[in-house]
Amino acid sequence: MTEDQRLERYAELAVRVGANVQPGQQVFVHPMVEHAELGRALVRQAYEAGAEYVHVVYRDDHNRHAMIGLGPDSALTYSPEWAKELMLSEAGNASIGTTGRPEPELLADLDGERVGRAIQLELAEISQQQHRDNSVNWCGVGAPNAGWAQQVFGEPDVERLWEKVAFCMRLDEPDPVEAWREHMARLDARAATLTELAPDGLHYRGPGSDLTVGLLPSARWGSARFRTSGGIDYVANMPTEEIFTTPDSRRAEGTIRSSLPLVLNGQIIRGLELTFEDGRIVGVEAETGGDLVRSQLATIENADRLGELALVTNESRVGQSETLFFDTLFDENATCHIAYGMGLPYAFDGEPDGGSNVCKIHVDFMVGGPDLEVDAVLADGAEVPLIRNETWQLS
Amino acid sequence: MDEHLERYAELVVRVGANVQPGQEVFLFPAVEHRDLARALTRQAYRAGASYVNVIYRDGHTRKAMIELGPDGALTYAPEWQKVLATSTGGNALIATTGDPEPELLADLDGERVGRAVQQELVQIQMKLMGEGAVNWCGIGAPSEGWAQQVFGEPDVERLWEKIAFCMRLDEPDPVAAWQEHLARLAERTERMNTLGADALQYRAPGTDLMVGLNPNVHWASGAGDTSTGIRYVANMPTEEVFTSPDARRTEGTIRATQPFPLFGQIVRGLELTFEGGRAVRVDAETGAELVRSHFATIENADRLGEVALVTGESRVGQTGLLFYDVLYDENSTCHIAYGTGLPFLLDAEPDDAFNMANMHVDFMVGGPELEVDAVLADGAEVPLIRNEEWQLA
Repeated sequence: MTEDQRLERYAELAVRVGANVQPGQQVFVHPMVEHAELGRALVRQAYEAGAEYVHVVYRDDHNRHAMIGLGPDSALTYSPEWAKELMLSEAGNASIGTTGRPEPELLADLDGERVGRAIQLELAEISQQQHRDNSVNWCGVGAPNAGWAQQVFGEPDVERLWEKVAFCMRLDEPDPVEAWREHMARLDARAATLTELAPDGLHYRGPGSDLTVGLLPSARWGSARFRTSGGIDYVANMPTEEIFTTPDSRRAEGTIRSSLPLVLNGQIIRGLELTFEDGRIVGVEAETGGDLVRSQLATIENADRLGELALVTNESRVGQSETLFFDTLFDENATCHIAYGMGLPYAFDGEPDGGSNVCKIHVDFMVGGPDLEVDAVLADGAEVPLIRNETWQLS
Repeated sequence: MDEHLERYAELVVRVGANVQPGQEVFLFPAVEHRDLARALTRQAYRAGASYVNVIYRDGHTRKAMIELGPDGALTYAPEWQKVLATSTGGNALIATTGDPEPELLADLDGERVGRAVQQELVQIQMKLMGEGAVNWCGIGAPSEGWAQQVFGEPDVERLWEKIAFCMRLDEPDPVAAWQEHLARLAERTERMNTLGADALQYRAPGTDLMVGLNPNVHWASGAGDTSTGIRYVANMPTEEVFTSPDARRTEGTIRATQPFPLFGQIVRGLELTFEGGRAVRVDAETGAELVRSHFATIENADRLGEVALVTGESRVGQTGLLFYDVLYDENSTCHIAYGTGLPFLLDAEPDDAFNMANMHVDFMVGGPELEVDAVLADGAEVPLIRNEEWQLA
């Protein structure tokens, strides 16, 4: 397989299995400017899949840096009319986003308070609504580039990064589409077992961590395979190795320590430690990036409550690659993670429960590792081991 | 290099678009222009922009659309892009040229390439332009691909030097140099407006063309003013004095003197013959199908929208280079455009003499052998250009 063939096969997988673009749909592709090579392949594959029109909207962290560093306060949260119209147009259509920041710490020299406040509020509201309506078949994929490789390996070895990414994406399989079908069936089966167990909470224990989080009876466990309201099945993240649910945002007690650094809005958060009381974060510690997290929690309503719990074990191909990717899409699929901010409506078969957190952001951070123990807490208080030494315990 | 870039971007933001504090700025760079786009963004915020919208375009995704997309995609103008185009009203706009792959679409069906125009967007842009609603500027953005096309090697540094020269960035005070330059062009413009010519006559090897002029349209150059009085320079560099002709009165044949990039193809050896104002014959060594497709599918594309005079003082011309970029090449020598007239030149409501079309394509006709005369109302001919030199005192 040549590099060009690999790129096209990768894009094809994202289009056919990930977003599952349907003939006659419009497709919205959101690459970074440094992802143009993959962006172009996605456009070709989307047209090959029968797209009626493909919109490509590039984003650029450097322009964001200029906006936050040099622009007026009002620019930080501004949502231009055209951007709102663009996002509204995605309803009923397909959307593909790319991750893999070429300069994960580009915004490190900026005031964390401003970086944290910089969120396009009206766009975030439209996005929330589309998640609730499940009106978009969307998919996030990684886009290898020199800067990202530099961050991961200490040298701009893009080919090595491609090999890792291809492995995580199961492109090394003779029939990747079939491999993905089997993989998602395994994750869905695991999720179904846990949904059937119907725990009332999860209990996390590890070095620096002792956290109990309440669960909602109406929220299921699931994989990242979703179905739009129009009946299109899609896989929202590629790779994906998690089963997740949306917790009761009113019930979180204790402390959790992040086990991996987290790239967030152009800064790197290291050594994050969050303390919860009555569901709300009351303490934030971090070696770097603490100001950014504190700014989000202070300025964005309900950012200080949990929105997601996700379990990942050592079958994960991302985990098996033994690589810290400095990219949430990959790193969150290497190991167990938790998110503060918006609860995921996908965990509910109908309207989300009132205990599901409503918020304009959703920030995943990694908490898993060999020392993390996760138990299901049943309604009667009994604890059932779910994860020990990164191994799934529930038969 | 970085300092180079910031000085260039600052000149464009301050003198070109003349971004005002509190304005939004809209940038339309190609993805390959990102270094310059970022510098423009920084400079626009430094000039007090309330928000900088950066909308990257990509020739490769356009190629996929024309090659692989359905027919409906070719002319489709998405709602959000209409909102975007409308939002530029009252604000500043900067577009970049310098195609990194000028022949990217050469292997596609010229008929489809020619048809692929988002006409609804062009209409919005023309309306805003006619209202003087946008302080805008078009500039070149050096890239490896562009340098490769110009020099046969990807020598971006050399391209930067040429561009800095054309942009007067080699002057101790580029802003002052631009003011002087614009004043010189304004004098020449004033001369053309007082002359009151009824037509232009072009003569050169392969060329014998008469173009009627429109008394309701004035000559212009360099700097313009928005309806709210913001002075801006729409093209940098700019070396031309131009007007929109009487589109009903074009007779004869004109031969392009340079190849020019158009929609991802290169048109070489273009020759157009006009009768009663319309192009009735198109010849070209390459790209003829694309031009014919424009004339066949876009209303009034087959009539002229601009005549522009450029002489040997042009810094672009002095470089002796063929840039394969219309912004540069059209400022090296005399040019003509088929397609829409420039609505900001109108002194009255548009009449049938003023061409309205959803496109505007400039091509170069100048050179040492071209003679341009003004034809006065009484039929007398006054020499305007001989051997690339201005003749009117």
